[in-house]
Amino acid sequence: MEFMDPLKLAFAMLLALDPELISIISLSLMVSFTAVCAALLIGLPIGALLSSYRFPGRWAIITLSNTFLGMPPVVVGLFIYVLISRAGPFGWLGILYTSYAMMLAQFVLVLPISIALSRQVFEILNSEYTPLFLSLRISKLNRVLVLISEARVALTTIALACFGRAISEVGAVMIVGGNIRHSTRVMTTAIGLETSRGELAKALALGVVLLAIALSVNIISQIIRSKFERNIVND
Amino acid sequence: MTDKNENNYILKTYNLTVIRNGKTLLDRVNLRIEHGSLIMLLGHNGAGKSVLLKTLHGLLARTDGDIKGPPAERQKIVFQKPILLRRSARKHFRFVCPGCSDKNTEAWFAHANLEAQIDTHAHQLSGGEQQKLALIGALASQPSLLFLDEPTSHLDYESTTAIEQMIQDAHAGGTTIIMTSHNRAQAERLAQHVLFIHAGQLLESRPATDFFHKPTDPIADNFLNHL
Repeated sequence: MEFMDPLKLAFAMLLALDPELISIISLSLMVSFTAVCAALLIGLPIGALLSSYRFPGRWAIITLSNTFLGMPPVVVGLFIYVLISRAGPFGWLGILYTSYAMMLAQFVLVLPISIALSRQVFEILNSEYTPLFLSLRISKLNRVLVLISEARVALTTIALACFGRAISEVGAVMIVGGNIRHSTRVMTTAIGLETSRGELAKALALGVVLLAIALSVNIISQIIRSKFERNIVND
Repeated sequence: MTDKNENNYILKTYNLTVIRNGKTLLDRVNLRIEHGSLIMLLGHNGAGKSVLLKTLHGLLARTDGDIKGPPAERQKIVFQKPILLRRSARKHFRFVCPGCSDKNTEAWFAHANLEAQIDTHAHQLSGGEQQKLALIGALASQPSLLFLDEPTSHLDYESTTAIEQMIQDAHAGGTTIIMTSHNRAQAERLAQHVLFIHAGQLLESRPATDFFHKPTDPIADNFLNHL
């Protein structure tokens, strides 16, 4: 195998719109995008609440989210597997070895990131704005919404970090998704499979695509960031 | 400020005490603030001036005593370092005064001579412009009581003059103002009445002319000599 072979193969597969490759890429994007959106939707308000208010259970949530930050993905995958397997408490959902299970696994993995990172951002903003909020006597909900709006530039970076974590995840989605062809095979699990088969060129080609997606997401994120910053200036 | 009918007072405190971490920040402060007055709160750094303003405005909880003042929505505060949202000056203004119309907003910016900066990001304004934005944001809801915590510290002469004029306009419009300052000339220019606070205790409460002529308390006298 020559050095450029994987690149050539990757371009050939992409240009030919190889159905299997396109299916793997689109499933990877769909699973990760859904998991990240759900994690941000739930994690950001929790981060804002944790930074703004003292309430019973706050310490427990912070400890739990910090602990899950360092949780090995395979352990998360195993935990979810036990929960959603036929004999598990949520076996009746019937989502084991489906894309829903993979979304759930990625969601569980990125939720602590969205909570922990956003809490840090919100705490800085909250300490700055608390006298203003108290003086204006604004409601708790409004306070959370203002914090999210004020942190929008930093939150773009957090979303990117979450997406990077989700799309590059392999252990958990392998366990709960099963890496089933045309069903739950995503780029990372496909790379693992092709490598084990000795199809290094194909594995590297998928790796190149994965890198290209990561690069594209990064560029899009930078564009969104600079647009936000420009809008802030021109607002 | 005593010997007046009780209805003449917009703000009264009874033995107002604030203790934090075992330290007494305010020690049985009794105040009577008349409607429409312009009060200068003076004292050394750490004397308790900002604590008093924040406690009166409800930002800090009191440990003991009582405060009788206008409802929260009729009071406003402007901080030494303006707290501005990360958005345009116009949008910040509309946030702090949600009831203000477009026309009203533009009128307030004109009053502060900030028309050209109305769509500039609030954090890109100069220090003086930021303080003017904070001030019109507080004044727009026509508060009956306004607290100003060293509103012109670190500002140049031009900005200080402009803000002092806005303070005087607000006072002429009937707003009761309690402000702190470390600038003797400014205090003499603006104040009708002076409160002198030291180590959390109110040592003097006198008409400004009397206070600046000769404070009765030796600590206040010493303070004035070094102001």
